[in-house]
Amino acid sequence: MSIDTENKEFYPNIVGFTCNWCSYTGADLAGVSRMKYKPNVKVIRVPCSGRVNPAFVLRAFQKGADGVLVSG
Amino acid sequence: MAKRIGLFICWCGSNIGGVVDVPRVVEETKNYPGVAFATDYKYMCSEPGQNLIISKVKEHNLDRVVVASCTPMLHEPTFRKAIARAGLNPYMFDMANIREQCSWVHSNDKEAATQKAIALVKRALAKVSQVEPLFESSIPITKKALVVGAGIAGIQVALDIADSGHEVILLERESTIGGNMVKLDKTFPTMDCSACISTPKMVQAAQHPNITIMTYAELVDVQGYIGNFEITIKQKARYVDHTICTGCGLCTEKCPTKVLSSFELGMGKRKAIYIEFPQAVPNKPVIDPDNCRYLKNGKCGICKKLCPVGAVDFEQKDELIEEKVGAIVIATGYDLIKWEEIYGEYGYGRFKDVITGLQFERLVNASGPTNGLIQRPSDGKEPKTVVFIKCVGSRDEAKAKEYCSRACCMYTAKHAHQVIEKIEGGHAYIFYMDVRTPGKAYDEFYRRTVDEGAQYIRGRVSKIYQSGDKLVVMGADTLLGSAVHIEADLVVLATAMVPTEGSEKIAQLAGVNIDKDGFFIEAHPKLRPVETMTGGVFLAGACQGPKDIPDTVSQASGAAAKVAALLSNEEMATDPMICHIDEKMCSGCLVCKEVCPYKAISEKTITERIAGQPVERMVASVNTGLCQGCGNCTVACRAGAANLKGYTNLQLLSEVDALCR
Repeated sequence: MSIDTENKEFYPNIVGFTCNWCSYTGADLAGVSRMKYKPNVKVIRVPCSGRVNPAFVLRAFQKGADGVLVSG
Repeated sequence: MAKRIGLFICWCGSNIGGVVDVPRVVEETKNYPGVAFATDYKYMCSEPGQNLIISKVKEHNLDRVVVASCTPMLHEPTFRKAIARAGLNPYMFDMANIREQCSWVHSNDKEAATQKAIALVKRALAKVSQVEPLFESSIPITKKALVVGAGIAGIQVALDIADSGHEVILLERESTIGGNMVKLDKTFPTMDCSACISTPKMVQAAQHPNITIMTYAELVDVQGYIGNFEITIKQKARYVDHTICTGCGLCTEKCPTKVLSSFELGMGKRKAIYIEFPQAVPNKPVIDPDNCRYLKNGKCGICKKLCPVGAVDFEQKDELIEEKVGAIVIATGYDLIKWEEIYGEYGYGRFKDVITGLQFERLVNASGPTNGLIQRPSDGKEPKTVVFIKCVGSRDEAKAKEYCSRACCMYTAKHAHQVIEKIEGGHAYIFYMDVRTPGKAYDEFYRRTVDEGAQYIRGRVSKIYQSGDKLVVMGADTLLGSAVHIEADLVVLATAMVPTEGSEKIAQLAGVNIDKDGFFIEAHPKLRPVETMTGGVFLAGACQGPKDIPDTVSQASGAAAKVAALLSNEEMATDPMICHIDEKMCSGCLVCKEVCPYKAISEKTITERIAGQPVERMVASVNTGLCQGCGNCTVACRAGAANLKGYTNLQLLSEVDALCR
């Protein structure tokens, strides 16, 4: 987590798990369409959202992530 | 041995380099543990770029590689091949997506984009530190194809595959092949006789040594995967033994039961033992069990008594036939929308003289119920004034389908031309929304019809009602801004094409997606129009979307080329990123079997030695041909025995750690 102490703004660090066949491609499509979004979310490619073990989500929080996105 | 990672960061011209400070990314990541070499280059996917990777792998004795560039969807195969050329296992590799998921979406904040690129590269470095060599295996391919549906699309696919030297099963649920095209009279814009160009193709398919035609049969089960499908076909009972029937036709002549013919779209009649039409393939009859007096009441049986070869067999039963094929082509075609259930303004089908375009084809067809004389269904009189209404069910978001059915503008122009040509003093009025005629010599044909005297009225019809023996058509001419009343003798509706009944079931069996209207979805609308997202399953014709005959035939040949390419291989490589069960850890609970969507897990008995004694126990076993690498089993496994190669627990956890740092 990082907090900009001057502006009191919160920049959450978000870890995304996206399915290779839909959401990962969707994130690519956002790029191809030159859409804009905040750079806080960083994506890990998985072969299926069913591959996301709850332990991965807990690990992310344990290591300091502010949010986890599972999409598939 | 210490890992030796090679890191190659791409500028992609200004696509990445214009937003992300690439040299800084190199600077910030080159000291990551294990990185033995790091550099950047303008276009990493270009030939000099790939050669750079190869030479640096050799020069620095690298054992694994990270490329940070575009999406792996685009160039992962390219770079894997490159590092394989450098002598590494192609799976000792990972990519960081710093274009689609970084520079292109964060171009408004270059500093943040650079920071994110650094994080994404570190994620890839973390993963690549954990990768292991993977090896593709190969599975044999069954060199035979199944074509579902034997209209013009299916026939063309079957002929083209068969000509390339592979066996084909051409499956059709009706008693004859030919589909909708054989019902048509003439084909636009050349006015070729439809039967004259399609029935020779039917005969060609029947006589081809590589084609097995199965009519009156349906697909009931599909198991397996690309190259190795196991299919089950239900051969419906024909009650006529086709191996001895000579097709003499005595039975159909003498059968006392007459019913409406579905081939004639209810415009003509057939017997309970029948051949759909004189040029049918196979040209042998079947008995319709719903109408046969003997099969219903046990009385009659006149066909059996008369048959000179004793081919009629009332005891025949449906039969299940199993086959193995390497590829499946779906060519199930279209039906017309059931307009009678939707359009009250056209009479909900109450008026006999409001018919569809396909029924008009039968009326005007020389081999149709009226021998080609245009006679209206109600009283058999020749209609003088014929009104055509286009877009019935198409382009109608409110009541039916949003899409344009593509063929109607042209066949309506053809019908109008036929009315003017065949009926003395005949008038054709066409209500239209737009006239769409994209196609070779199409617009010329439409113009010619207008010049012949067909009256095109731009507007919709609000009501049709019967007045004496006339149908009064009330519509609007939106170009003149006035109401139009036409006293018509016959009204022909250009109804929307919809996927044929039962295509949803075929989609389920073959594991192919359908869109909101029920049409099959192709793998890519532009670049992979005949493939589906399911390997080994292809599409041809109107089952993928409304089409006219030229487009259908071209697509069919395209699908056949894809099948021929697949079947020309003896075996195919399998993706090595599949599940692996550590038998030592597996307790044999088989929860993984329950969650596997591909039925790839089964139980297996292994023998272990415990305290010197052989002990048998059950463990899970993965079929490497069926496993698609989704990894659901790895999450379900409580012992942690299931792991997914290429996406192992260790790899994913180290990626999480890298992104949270």
